[in-house]
Amino acid sequence: MLDALGMLGAGFAHVLQGGAAVHALWATLVGILVGALPGLTATMGVALLTTLTFSMDSSVALLVLVCVYVGAIYGGSRSAILLNIPGTPASAASTLDGYPLARQGLAGRAMGISTAGSWLGTLFGALCLALFAPVIGEYALEFQSYEMFWVAMFGIVIAGSLSGGDPLKGYIAGFLGLFVATIGQEANHAYPRFAFGSTDLAGGLGLLPVLVGVFGVAEVLSAMRGPAVRAVSSKIDSVVPRIRDVLRYWRTILRSGALGTFVGAMPGLGEDIAAWTSYAAARRASREAEQFGKGSVEGLMAAETGESACVPGAIIPVLTLAVPGSAPAAVLMAAMMIHGLNPGPMLAITTPEFIYQIVAMLILADMVKLVYGLVLVRPLLWVLLIPRERLMPVVFVLCCVGAFAITSRLFDVWVMLGAGLVGFVLRELRFPMAPLVLGIVLGDLLDKNLLRGLVLSGGDVTPFFTRPISAALAALVALMFLMSVPPVNAWVTRRMREALGALRRRPV
Amino acid sequence: MSERGAAPPEVHSPLAGERAPVSPRADLVAAAVLLAFGLSVVALALRMPTFVEQSGTGLTAPGIVPGFHGTVIALLALVLGLRAVRRGALRDGGGAAGAGAPRREDALRLGFAAALGTLYAGFLIGRLPFWLATALFVFAFTAGFEWRHGAAGRPRRLLEAAAIALGTGWVVQFVFEELFLVRLP
Repeated sequence: MLDALGMLGAGFAHVLQGGAAVHALWATLVGILVGALPGLTATMGVALLTTLTFSMDSSVALLVLVCVYVGAIYGGSRSAILLNIPGTPASAASTLDGYPLARQGLAGRAMGISTAGSWLGTLFGALCLALFAPVIGEYALEFQSYEMFWVAMFGIVIAGSLSGGDPLKGYIAGFLGLFVATIGQEANHAYPRFAFGSTDLAGGLGLLPVLVGVFGVAEVLSAMRGPAVRAVSSKIDSVVPRIRDVLRYWRTILRSGALGTFVGAMPGLGEDIAAWTSYAAARRASREAEQFGKGSVEGLMAAETGESACVPGAIIPVLTLAVPGSAPAAVLMAAMMIHGLNPGPMLAITTPEFIYQIVAMLILADMVKLVYGLVLVRPLLWVLLIPRERLMPVVFVLCCVGAFAITSRLFDVWVMLGAGLVGFVLRELRFPMAPLVLGIVLGDLLDKNLLRGLVLSGGDVTPFFTRPISAALAALVALMFLMSVPPVNAWVTRRMREALGALRRRPV
Repeated sequence: MSERGAAPPEVHSPLAGERAPVSPRADLVAAAVLLAFGLSVVALALRMPTFVEQSGTGLTAPGIVPGFHGTVIALLALVLGLRAVRRGALRDGGGAAGAGAPRREDALRLGFAAALGTLYAGFLIGRLPFWLATALFVFAFTAGFEWRHGAAGRPRRLLEAAAIALGTGWVVQFVFEELFLVRLP
C-alpha cells in the first residue's frame, strides 16, 4: 500500500514536471470542445491529437491524449443538456434528464450535476485503476498465447454483441476490422498479404489513418448529410454544483462509478454503454423512479458518473492485457505503442510506475475538467453554435493533416479517405464502429497468438480449450455468441424465469 | 441562446436517425457484397505460399489467419442474407425506404461533401501548396453549402467563407509546422 502511494506520488511528480500543467489546460479544453461539438467524438479527438503530438515527449503526449479523452467525454454532456443533442454518443443517456431540466430553466443546475457526477466518476475510476490494474497485470502474466488468443476473441465477441444492438452486424464489423489488420507483411515470413505488388500496401494500413477516416471523415459526411434541427434555448442559472445533490445521491454515485468502471474494463464496450447501464441501475434502485426521463437529478448524476468512470475503466485492460476497453482507449493504446511504451501484461514488470503516471494524468485531467466545468459555460455556448458548414471543412483538413503526420506518406491520406467512405457506408447500413476498431487494434494480437499457439502445440488445437483460463474464456466467448442467437436467447431467458419462479414458489 | 424566448438556432444532430433500421433489401445487398468479399479473401488466402520448407509444419502459413477471417465473414454474411430474405427482402416493398434511407436532398448534400473531400484529399493535396489547397477546399465547401441560404446576404457570406478559408490555410500551416513540428503534405 505504501509502495503504491509512493509510486502515485512519483507519478504526479513525473507528470507535473516541466510545464506539463499548461499542456493539461489546453488539452482538456480541446477535449471539452471536441466533445461538446455535435459531430466530433472522443475517439476522433484522441486520434487526431495522437497524430499531431507524436513529435512531443512521450509522457507529455500521453498527458495531452488522456486530457482530451477525459475532457471530450465530459464535454458531450453540454450539448446533451443545452441542445438535446449528445455531443458524443456517450452522452445520449444524459439527454433524457439533462434536457428536461434545462427546459425547466435549470440548465445551470443540470450542468452543475453533470460536472459533479463526471468529476467524481473519473476520480472513482482512477482510484480503481490504481488499485486493480497492478493486481490484474500480475495475474495476466499467467496468460500465454492460447489465452491471449481468446482474450482478443472475447473482445470482438463482446463488442459485437453489445455495442450496436444487432450482434450479427457487430460480429461482421469486428471480423472486417481483424481482416484490415492482416493487410501487409506478416511477422513470420515477411510475406506481403493482400498487397497486390504495391509497396505501400505491403507496409500495411496504418492504424491511425484508418481510425481518423472511420471516425473523422465518416462523421463529417454524416454531419453534412441531414437537415439541421432546431435547438431549444434555455436560461442559464448557477452552474456551481450543489453539495446537497452530491450528498443526497451518494449511493447512486458509488453504484454508477463501480458500474461505469466495470463496463469500461470490458473490452470494446465503452462510455455509452456505461452511461446507459448506470442510468438503468439507478432507475431500478431509485425511490423516485417516476421522475426519470422528466428531469431527474439522480438520473443525470448516474449517467454522468457512469460514463466518466468508464474512462479510467477502459484504460485498465489496455495497461494489463493490451486490449482496449473502448474505442478512444483503442486509439490511446495505439498512441502508447507509437511512443514506444508496450502496454500489456509485461508493463507491470518492466515499467510498473507507468500505471501510476496514467492515474496521475487522469486525476490531473479530472481537476482541470472541474475548473472548466465551473467557469466555461458561456464561451462554450458560442462554440456550440458554429454552423456545421463552417466547422466540418476545418475538421476534414485536420483529418488529412493527422493522417499524413505520422509517416509523411500521401498514401496514408488516401487510406484515410477510403476508410472514411467505407466507414460511412457501413454506418449507414447500421454496422457498429466499436467492434471494427477493436478488430483493427486486436488483429495483430490475435494473428500472432493463434499462430504461436499452433506452433507451440505442434498443430494441436486442444490447448486452446483445455487449459483452465483458456477453457473459461472459450466458454465465455461461446456463451456470448450463443446468447446473441435469438431462439437460444429466448430459450435461456424462459428457462431462467421458470427456475426463478420455482425458487420463489418453494416453501421455506 | 442564453435568453429564454430568443430564436432557437439551428444545430445538426449527428445521431439523428442513428437507431433507425435499414430496409431488408439493403441488408440483402450488403450481405451479397460481404459474401463475395469474404470468399475473395478466402480464395486469396488459399493462393498464399505455405512456407512448409522453412517451418516444417506449415503452421505459420500467412494465409491461415486471413483465411479464417474471410470464412467467418462469408458465413456471417450468409446468415445476414438469409435473415434479410426472411424479413421480406425479396417481397414487393422489401426495399421500402426505412427511416434511415436517404432523401434526395440528403443524397445531394452527401454527394457534394464526399466529392469535395475526395477532390481535396485525393488530388489537390500534394499537387498544390498545402495552404492553397486547404483554402480552396474550405472556401468551396462553406460557400457551396451556404449557397442554398438564398441571395440575401450572399456577398457577405462569400466574403466570410473566403476569410475562413484563407485563415484556416494559414493557421493550420503555422500551428502544425511551427508549433507541433509536424510535416504537412
